[in-house]
Amino acid sequence: MKAILRALRAELAAIFGDPQILSVMVVSLAIYALIYPYPYRPELLREVPVAVVDLDNSAGSRQLARDIEASEAVAVVARPPTMAEAERLVHERRAYGILLVPQGFERELLRGRQSPIAIYADASYFLMYQKALTGIAGPARTTGVQVQVARQLATGTSRTEALSGASPIALVEVPLFNPAGGYATYILPAAFVLILQQTMMMGLGLVATRRAPSADPLPWRMLGRAGAWLGLYALLLPMYLVVLPWAYGLPWLGHLPALATLGVPFVLAVGFLAQAVAAVLRRAEIVQMVLLSLGMPLFFLSGFSWPIESLPPLLRAAAQAIPSTAMIEGYVRSAQMGAGLAELAPLIRQLWLLAFAYAGITLLLRLGASGSRLSTARPQVRSREAGDAL
Amino acid sequence: MSGLVTAIRREFRLIRRHPALIGLTVVLPLALCVLLAFVFRSGVATNLPVAVVDLDRSSLSRQVVRMLDATPDVEVSARADSLPEARSLILSGRARGALLLPAGFERDALRGARPEAVIFYDNQHMSAGSVVARGARNAVTAASGGLSVSLREAQGAGSLQATAAAQPMLLQTHALFNPALDYVDFLLAALMPAVIQLMAAAATTYAVSLDFGPGRHARVLPRLAGGLLPAMLGKLLPYTFLFMLILGIYDIGLYGWLGVPLRGSLLLMGVGAALFIIACQLIGALCFLLTRDFARAISFVGVILAPALGYMGIGFPREAMPPLAQAWSALIPGTWYIQLRIDQSLRATPMDLSVWPVLYLLAIAVALGLIVLLRLDRMRSALAPATARTARRTA
Repeated sequence: MKAILRALRAELAAIFGDPQILSVMVVSLAIYALIYPYPYRPELLREVPVAVVDLDNSAGSRQLARDIEASEAVAVVARPPTMAEAERLVHERRAYGILLVPQGFERELLRGRQSPIAIYADASYFLMYQKALTGIAGPARTTGVQVQVARQLATGTSRTEALSGASPIALVEVPLFNPAGGYATYILPAAFVLILQQTMMMGLGLVATRRAPSADPLPWRMLGRAGAWLGLYALLLPMYLVVLPWAYGLPWLGHLPALATLGVPFVLAVGFLAQAVAAVLRRAEIVQMVLLSLGMPLFFLSGFSWPIESLPPLLRAAAQAIPSTAMIEGYVRSAQMGAGLAELAPLIRQLWLLAFAYAGITLLLRLGASGSRLSTARPQVRSREAGDAL
Repeated sequence: MSGLVTAIRREFRLIRRHPALIGLTVVLPLALCVLLAFVFRSGVATNLPVAVVDLDRSSLSRQVVRMLDATPDVEVSARADSLPEARSLILSGRARGALLLPAGFERDALRGARPEAVIFYDNQHMSAGSVVARGARNAVTAASGGLSVSLREAQGAGSLQATAAAQPMLLQTHALFNPALDYVDFLLAALMPAVIQLMAAAATTYAVSLDFGPGRHARVLPRLAGGLLPAMLGKLLPYTFLFMLILGIYDIGLYGWLGVPLRGSLLLMGVGAALFIIACQLIGALCFLLTRDFARAISFVGVILAPALGYMGIGFPREAMPPLAQAWSALIPGTWYIQLRIDQSLRATPMDLSVWPVLYLLAIAVALGLIVLLRLDRMRSALAPATARTARRTA
């Protein structure tokens, strides 16, 4: 018991006594909290600039342009006379969509033939593409249905009949959990979990490379350290995953007990993974650089921004070994979607499994290398051979 | 000139002697390239699991379900008896959405009462959710259109006439520059440069720390190279070369193996890539020279360049960001390099517009280079009296 407490105190002292480690684990955590969410503050994309090329110049085509102008998603910024000029605007990034109304648009429509119009949307930026497309296509479809209903009303059919003839099945689309499709709501919760994991790994990895040798048995020391991590992150994790989302006005449906059941195995898994990484990479600088480089790839591997179903099976399995994969899913499902413990159970199990697995790997690595490597604490650039200078 | 060559030679010797440097400049970037390529290799998300709540169990409802299953976007993974059951499937991640077909669906459709099919989709996972919504939209629209035409034909209209009446205005949608809406073209082309941006800066921070770190003789390299400028170039260029090589290999994979279109000027891409990497390296070098402490410097590099992907406007476009975020993103080399890449690979942008990102990169690189030189100069002059003093004392 004493050995455990000693290790706990030593770990906390190592974190709070070393300004470098404190700056990695706490200061950069705070800076990331400010910098990372900032570009997404507006949440939604509105008034995407589009151009209208009206070759018909009829009452019908002008009405169509007005309907599009009225939509919130797009703003008509130019009415160039030719398609080539409109494309130039897209190349200049001054417009992201083009509506082309061909000559004879109204005439065809009045004759009862199918009258085509064309929408070009810039697909080199996906969000712009979606907005430009829906912003133009929505009003255009409405106009189309109006035309058809009007035609049928003219032939004496009733209004409901006319509508149902146009499309006998109505489709209602109900977006769940993030109904407005806010980008900050989408990306930030996952990013917060990943930032937490990366800064924690970096900090604890540094602690592990700079640790003074101790005579206490390794399992006790590991238990004591785990206690120190849990204590520290009992503060930091709710700050990041409860207070921060609230400060940014993100929806939060979670429950603190659910967050705790996810958080405890997550902190343990990340902590022990950091020990294992430090045992393999050994030197502080390398640990930091490798973890820094891995941040972005891990985000995409977590299956958040890119559906995990679309990863190759092998990669999908490998991604499960990283604590953030399960934690991002668990946290998002709990906090943003309101999932209960029953739905979270497999993820919680997975996090516990990872915690035990990495603790075991750390034990094996340390025991395998014990004795000879007890003195590698705090390797410094300074201690390397002087021959580098030439 | 010979000083520069000496400095470059010395740097390559340094790299050979530090396995860590080789790992960080060659092995890790290549491994990450391969990893990301495999993540996005499928290009478009297909066969996302969707639950079906079919309360009608009629031939029409079954046909809608079949059509849903047939779209490439989704596959029907589960049948739920009630909405709460479907909701639980979505919450646990076993389905990305659920299609509800209410009781009386077929009867109402044939009667002309316009029944509602409802697609619930998980919009918290926006990329998966929008694919599911698109799949359901296509399936239901197709089923509805088919029914509309057959109803009209039953009323005695010709088939062409029936189609025109059902859809008076034909919307042709075109995806400019990226007709297949392929994720590979879009994201992968931008992602790796963001990773390389970070790695080039981090590797340079490390390399500079080997010469200018505490306890190092900061004047050795400038003296050896015969001046500050050749010393700085000699330090940077070997890594520029290595990272250019990585980018080159990556691009061969992207444009060759994965078949991403390349429609612009290779020369412009090359010049842009070199300026981009040099600018990233200068950020790494500057972070170290300002802090003179590796751990702090690498934290700075992280703070500046790790969130950079968000600022570069790949996902959430720059135009929609707050003005301050737009200004900050204009200072990040990756913003312009990725714009250049998108222009030259997907968009085939006219030349007079293509040069702008390169000019921005040049401006960033020159500005950073001047700051680094100034800082080096001040470090040297701060060191000089101290060294003279120690020299006198030892004499």
